[in-house]
Amino acid sequence: MYSNSSDDRKLDLSSALRILENAGRPDPRLASDDPDVQLQKIIDTLCDLSIHDGLTGLVNATFFHAVLTREIERSLRTRRTCGLIVVDIDHFKNVNDTYGHIAGDKAIQAFASELKSSLRSMDTAARIGGEEFAAILPECEPEDAINAATRIHSVLNPVTVSVEGESLKLTTSAGLVWTNPNFSVTSTALLSEADQEMYRSKRTGRGRLCYRYGDATQISDDERSALLDRSLEEDSDDH
Amino acid sequence: MTTEKHKALRIALISGKGGVGKSVITLNLAAALSSLGRKTLAVDADLGLASLDVILDISPQSTIFDALHRGSPLDEALIHTTKGFDLLPAGSGLPEGTMVTQALAESVEAGFSSLEDRYDIFLLDAGAGIGDVVLFFANLAHEILLVVTPEPTSVMDAYATIKILHQNYGRSEFLLVVNQADPDRSDQVGASIAGHLRNVISRYLESDPPVRLELIGSIPRDPAIPRAVRHRQLLVETDPKAPAIGGIARMADFLEKRISKSFGI
Repeated sequence: MYSNSSDDRKLDLSSALRILENAGRPDPRLASDDPDVQLQKIIDTLCDLSIHDGLTGLVNATFFHAVLTREIERSLRTRRTCGLIVVDIDHFKNVNDTYGHIAGDKAIQAFASELKSSLRSMDTAARIGGEEFAAILPECEPEDAINAATRIHSVLNPVTVSVEGESLKLTTSAGLVWTNPNFSVTSTALLSEADQEMYRSKRTGRGRLCYRYGDATQISDDERSALLDRSLEEDSDDH
Repeated sequence: MTTEKHKALRIALISGKGGVGKSVITLNLAAALSSLGRKTLAVDADLGLASLDVILDISPQSTIFDALHRGSPLDEALIHTTKGFDLLPAGSGLPEGTMVTQALAESVEAGFSSLEDRYDIFLLDAGAGIGDVVLFFANLAHEILLVVTPEPTSVMDAYATIKILHQNYGRSEFLLVVNQADPDRSDQVGASIAGHLRNVISRYLESDPPVRLELIGSIPRDPAIPRAVRHRQLLVETDPKAPAIGGIARMADFLEKRISKSFGI
């Protein structure tokens, strides 16, 4: 029972303390004798737990959607695209089935650490599912997003995890999309598009990064002119 | 996990544009590789719009599409042809064959792995276009062989295919065959088109490692080819001295060496 000394109101903090204990966090009451400091510490720790994934320390799925929604709004306001990359560890079930869940957790932590280290400070990395991660890349033009995603994907391919004396080389499939600053989209819809690209990567061989056709791969006018250069026709025509 | 063990070299024949001769080259190349002693499997990877069985005058009882959708082994669809190589035929008139689901992708991968120790090489005859099925088989292959003709539309489509496979799938190595080249100067035409494509690639597809395009053959335009197709036979059967046979033989020699180099077999 926590007693606030200033107005003598009593707060039952036993549930909060139990949550912190179960999460493996130190008892905040040990940090200070000052009840106000203790209460602030409890609040801070609960806030931290509510937005982060316990295993990896990355942002959790709920908070990820909140950040993505904010970044989509910012993209509309600033007219600058925001990239979203989704990555999923390939054949992860095999790791759990073969080496057990502790090894699986170790792999997830290794991926999370590599993912985080490959991002800019303004980017947000999240664990959004069992072995699925996402990163929000604000203020990225499509070309920058492609470059960033290519770099992130190369860092994650492969990630080597040491398990029972064996070195497992795990690959990831990734999908990249970006916002259109002229059109609104929900975070769920944008994530679904990124997921579709990631699944396309899975279907087409895994260990790959897929992103939208169109902007990036469409043949430009210059390429078209170069390809249709008349000298080629002269070279290859019948004589 | 990287546990894949390659025993058969998988070559995907793709083009972007249709009608450039992929299927005819696939089958005649399969026969040429077989005659060099290589155990060869020709796969009709245009899952819903078959052509290889038609050219070979075979009526399959079961197709790769049937096996994949039933979840039964690909063996059920395997045909030992009389031409020295085996065939996995596709279905005909199946719109579902244009879609790659996760389950289908996994079945194909598992099916190929189960057949891999029986063959030295798979020739995957992908359909036209740049749809999911084509890209799926291209990515499943160790080597991508682009088939082009001197037509500007074919060259344009080949470049677009290279660009997509490079930018979206990280492929940097491509083989090239120029089909239907001027018979009087087929080698020069082949070299010219390869050089032209390389120029455009180096100008617009800068990357590290750079995109490499290796010309492995030029096949002259040869009236013996449509004649053989009409008779539903291989070129070597209807016209063993046809000029096109030389171009196919050179491709077979190249791939034969590539099998040895890749897998030491």
